[in-house]
Amino acid sequence: MSFSEADVQGALKNLIDPNTRKDFASGKVLKNVKIDGNNVSLDIVLGYPAKSVWDEIRAMIEAHLKAALPGSSVSVNVTSKVVQHTVQHGAKLVDGVRNIIAVASGKGGVGKSTTAVNIALALAAEGARVGMLDADIYGPSQPTMLGISGQPATDGEHFMTPMSNYGLQAMSIGFLIASDDTPMIWRGPMVTQALDQLLRQTRWDDLDYLIVDLPPGTGDIQLSLAQQVPLTGAVIVTTPQDIALMDARKGLKMFEKVGVKIVGIVENMSTHICSKCGHEEHIFGSGGGEKMCADYDTEFLGSLPLDIRIREQTDSGKPTVVSDPDGNIAKSYKQIARRIAVKVAEMAQNRTSVFPKVVVQNT
Amino acid sequence: MSAHPTEIKLHQQSRLLEIAFDDDACYQLPYEFLRVSSPSAEVRGHGVGQETLQVGKKNVDILEVLPVGNYAMKIVYDDGHDSGLYTWDYLYNLGKHQAELWQDYLEKLEAAGGSREHGSEPEVKAGGCGSGSGGGCGHH
Repeated sequence: MSFSEADVQGALKNLIDPNTRKDFASGKVLKNVKIDGNNVSLDIVLGYPAKSVWDEIRAMIEAHLKAALPGSSVSVNVTSKVVQHTVQHGAKLVDGVRNIIAVASGKGGVGKSTTAVNIALALAAEGARVGMLDADIYGPSQPTMLGISGQPATDGEHFMTPMSNYGLQAMSIGFLIASDDTPMIWRGPMVTQALDQLLRQTRWDDLDYLIVDLPPGTGDIQLSLAQQVPLTGAVIVTTPQDIALMDARKGLKMFEKVGVKIVGIVENMSTHICSKCGHEEHIFGSGGGEKMCADYDTEFLGSLPLDIRIREQTDSGKPTVVSDPDGNIAKSYKQIARRIAVKVAEMAQNRTSVFPKVVVQNT
Repeated sequence: MSAHPTEIKLHQQSRLLEIAFDDDACYQLPYEFLRVSSPSAEVRGHGVGQETLQVGKKNVDILEVLPVGNYAMKIVYDDGHDSGLYTWDYLYNLGKHQAELWQDYLEKLEAAGGSREHGSEPEVKAGGCGSGSGGGCGHH
């Protein structure tokens, strides 16, 4: 018996990708269907990085097709191609960067930088090309967390080559100052200018995602980032504590006001796991992140425990995703990262974030 | 989310900015109206009662329209004013309430004894600036 391409499409319509929650026949995922007698071969091109689950997806599709098309021999090739954020031609997207994702919170100390670096490393582990921009000018943490020291090389007169470690390209004001205890005693306009230089005068090399680790608050840095670049979206980090949630709400509202889409909310320090007995306790309260998501109709991307290992590993310059890549915590980060990537792929294709076409007419 | 613009046309002869939104609304806003309604602190001040009435902008031209993030645009005028960030919501509102807002401006102008004409410059072309008749698109 022989099959047609329509049979393959029809069969894949009934199979849902657990990451995107959409079927494999829609959204330009299915490519290159070839049928030769009983042999069916096809490519699946995912819009998000997912190296760790390629095999799983391939097995799932092959099994599904074999069942739907009895007697067939199926060969599936799974790859990922990260979708570029759609912007109007002429809008100032940063060179060498396909998507920019801001990681923000209202309050300080909720674990933004730790979450940002682990998400960046998780995306890289899934096969994406990722950069990390430390936008915290007053308190840069990324050099320490990524275990990078030294100064970036200059590339020509105006550009810097990003530093790199663990496959991540990184730029921070911390690389440019003399020593760890040199404070940046700057007023707003200087900070804004420094951020713009770190962003635009770095020679980012073909990035799928640039993760921006923002400082807490809703001031100069957050606003100028939202105004100067078309951000694909923002991820809000909070703890379940009321006092942190209150500020997280303000952070979220700020992004809404400047037309930046919210990718979702990550709840950090959800539970405390005792390093002696393993007992898990909701020391900052429970369900806060979920409730905030329900209130603002955004997605709860996941939660992370207050675990001494995350702190120790990140402080020593080897964040959890690289120091314990197969552990449960790294798995949580990877799951969150995949979810972010899927949502970003959807947002990237959404044309409402595109600057309208401007036509000048002699009329 | 509120309406997002899909296209902006600058009619340089008639000095009209035509803006179409994704909810099918479409407005033609005279450059002068946009200029005198600039949301800049130079025009609005920093609070109620601090507004500076803009006069003599009848023949103002727009040099450039620049994107500001995902939510607004900056308009650069030929009189040097470029600090106004026009959000999509603000432009939508200007279009929707164009007639009242324009009338309101004219009344304020009259009360202050100001003029729409530029001070010393001789008038070259009149008639280009509409007086607030919004509505239909498809201008050629």
